[in-house]
Amino acid sequence: MEFVLESALNLLGFVVGLVLGIFAYIGFKNTGSPTLFRLSISFFSISIGFGVVGFGFLIESLVLGYAKLDTWIQTLGLGIQTIGYFFIAFSHGIKSFFPKSRYFKSIAMPLFIIPGNSIEHIIRSISFILLVYGTIETILSYMENRKRSTIFVAAGLGLLALGEFLGWYSIVFPKSVLYFISVSTKIVGLGALFVPISQVPLRGARFGNNI
Amino acid sequence: MAITYRTHMSIIGDILSTARDEVPDESGASITYLIRKANISYARLSKILDTLVSQGLLEQSNSDRACKYRISNRGREFLQAYRGFREFADSFGLRI
Repeated sequence: MEFVLESALNLLGFVVGLVLGIFAYIGFKNTGSPTLFRLSISFFSISIGFGVVGFGFLIESLVLGYAKLDTWIQTLGLGIQTIGYFFIAFSHGIKSFFPKSRYFKSIAMPLFIIPGNSIEHIIRSISFILLVYGTIETILSYMENRKRSTIFVAAGLGLLALGEFLGWYSIVFPKSVLYFISVSTKIVGLGALFVPISQVPLRGARFGNNI
Repeated sequence: MAITYRTHMSIIGDILSTARDEVPDESGASITYLIRKANISYARLSKILDTLVSQGLLEQSNSDRACKYRISNRGREFLQAYRGFREFADSFGLRI
């Protein structure tokens, strides 16, 4: 039952990410914009990451009948999601991975050092930092443009970051409810990213990429 | 105050907006008029205009020994789509 719930949450994330990716890709096909291309890669990666975990768990538990699920599936899925978060951060023009501030390093470095024995938790900490960066940049953009949809995007990225943090923190309580809260928080975060889509025209002519 | 550079796509948006909303007469906008309104150099504008005409977004006409440009129906559709997706990217704090 636990596996089914985990799979269902991850498959929901797969669908949400896929829809967002399709919207961004329609935008890229219509305008040829590199920014929308990066956003489509980002959302497709996030979607595939959720899908790998969701379908992986389903296949292992229902088809193969494994009693214990392989952790490499979770690690692979999170790794693919991290690529997506990287492209969101990259679109904001990330210049260097860490600012030179000593104070910031003192906060950020433990995220890498503490879970050093686990690839999964290293990946989660990278995702967390990328998402926090994206959230801060989006909040700064909101302060410039004051668009309501921007604050929804900032909230969405912030919730994704919180979800990754809770998932990373579940190393302390591995069998607790933290994992479900983590995946649920991430899905709510992805849902908040839907708000700008209401402004996207779904119908329209297709244009070449040479513009 | 930080200087904000326009992307290639936003320059195209400005040119199409000018050709749609600010043409001085029925025959269309001249290159000089577009240079002034879109705030872009002649060399760069010429390349972009060639592309937009070849893509069918602008219509070129010769009148009084001068090339004039008008937005096509396809150009209007593109401009509408561009504005929608610009809003989408703006929401992420990004520029297309």
